[in-house]
Amino acid sequence: MNKKTSNARWILLFLLPIVLLYTAFFIYPFGFVFFSSLNKWNGISHMKFVGLQNYVNLAMSTTFQLSIRNNIIWALSLGFLQVGFASVIAFILARKPRFWKGLRTVYFIPKVISGVAIAMLWKAVYNAEFGALNAILTFLTGHTWNVNWLGEFNSALPAIIAQEVMYIGYFMIIILAGVMAIPRSYYEAAEIDGASVLQQELHITLPVVWGTIVTSMTLAMAYGLRHFEATFLMTGGGPGHSTSTLAIMMYNKIGARKLGQASALGTVLVIIGFIVIVTLNSTLGRKSLTGEDT
Amino acid sequence: MNRNLWKSTIRVLKWVFLLFFFAVALLPLLWLLVTSFKTEAEFTKFPLQLPHLWQIQNYIDAVHIAKMHILFINSIIIASSATIFNLLITSMAAFAISREEFRLKNSISNILVAGVLVPIVAFMVPYLALIKNLGLYNTRMALVITYAAINIPISFFLIRSFMTSIPKELEEAAIMDGCSFPQRYTKIILPLSRAGLVTSGTLTFIWAWNEFIYALLLTSSSRVRTIQLGISFFSTQFRSNYPAMYAAIVLTMIPSILVYVFFHDKIISGLTAGAVKG
Repeated sequence: MNKKTSNARWILLFLLPIVLLYTAFFIYPFGFVFFSSLNKWNGISHMKFVGLQNYVNLAMSTTFQLSIRNNIIWALSLGFLQVGFASVIAFILARKPRFWKGLRTVYFIPKVISGVAIAMLWKAVYNAEFGALNAILTFLTGHTWNVNWLGEFNSALPAIIAQEVMYIGYFMIIILAGVMAIPRSYYEAAEIDGASVLQQELHITLPVVWGTIVTSMTLAMAYGLRHFEATFLMTGGGPGHSTSTLAIMMYNKIGARKLGQASALGTVLVIIGFIVIVTLNSTLGRKSLTGEDT
Repeated sequence: MNRNLWKSTIRVLKWVFLLFFFAVALLPLLWLLVTSFKTEAEFTKFPLQLPHLWQIQNYIDAVHIAKMHILFINSIIIASSATIFNLLITSMAAFAISREEFRLKNSISNILVAGVLVPIVAFMVPYLALIKNLGLYNTRMALVITYAAINIPISFFLIRSFMTSIPKELEEAAIMDGCSFPQRYTKIILPLSRAGLVTSGTLTFIWAWNEFIYALLLTSSSRVRTIQLGISFFSTQFRSNYPAMYAAIVLTMIPSILVYVFFHDKIISGLTAGAVKG
């Protein structure tokens, strides 16, 4: 046997495991989730084809409308607020103020700790009777606070979103890497021309790293649309369904053995995610090209 | 004069910003840590003060009540097996794709990397059906396979770019010496890619250690429960013994923080490489 065919066999053998696993976990699920969304299915007996009935049921349910609204709020908060804060911090750190390395390390700590532990931590902070937040407010204002932050309709969603938005570590690291790669000479030239620090950031840093910021926003919004963990652990979607998201609703449908409807939600998640990535990349992405030209 | 005022305002704002996010990242964690050393009575009366006596009873209770050792053992077994499995299959594929020429190699490579964009959470139903059909529901193996698979795109991307940068000459010399295809993989390319393997291994391990959704969906008994899933049961297990529950939560955070301290550079370089590609 010649060398070439033996090599080809080896290549095939080396690719086989990844192709099998990738097909099972990344390709086949697309087909399966779409197909089962067209069926009535409890996970045990056979599927029964019902066309778009699951989608019609979803569209009419108020929980679905609430979940979509919440997911949009999540996506906008993470995309604009979290990435916005992360960008500002990255721009500041790139100028290497005192302790910048230590600050960078601390900002990132919450991102290595599991989301579950962080959610439980904030559940403790927001606790009505013994939480740190009420204790601090009581201390500052002089009168007793016992707001049930996660139990009230008005405060539950903002409370969950706030703790996540303020953890800027991940996007800060990504944007900081982009800013640090800008040659010093750009800023030196601007300084000679008399540009202030703010002007330098606006006219040099921002345009150059715009592409990275857009990537971060896309990722952040994608995370917002698939949000599950913190809400599941902190409120379970309550009070009522006021903090529900598509993923939470999907999990509950699985628990209720309505797998067809759960799959319809899965399909909606896939489609929305796809739309976000495509539109953000094409609308905001174009500006990054003009930005890089300057 | 005016310009100086403007400058100092900016400086103050800058530090307000830096310190605010510093406080948000650190203070809640410190509060949890301090509280975990208090007695229940101290905690309910003075939630913000330091403990009168720093006692470790809560930690002893935490290990007992939550059966922390079982949770830890399960998480270590699952996260490390998933990491090894993931590194094995991604490095084999990355080796074939980065060091050989064949049809479809670019398409395969692109499809694998594009997986980072897939919203994995949307696949609850397919994964549940798949794992049940394989007869793996409620086993550690279910999570090992799932975690290894979900991390294919990022690991493959990192290891492939590492392997592509290894000079061809090194291998040509080995081929002259009669090295076979698998020997080139095990004896030359794999050892030279160690840094890339460590980076993607660290990321996969941390991801698997922290994973919650699929642990929740694919297992049901306390025998195979991971640490993250265990945490979600703390509120029922500890009832109103908050300080002991906080001690348990602190215990679950220690491994992640240790890994961060030791592999800090690897984690950050891996994340930036993974994201810049977008």
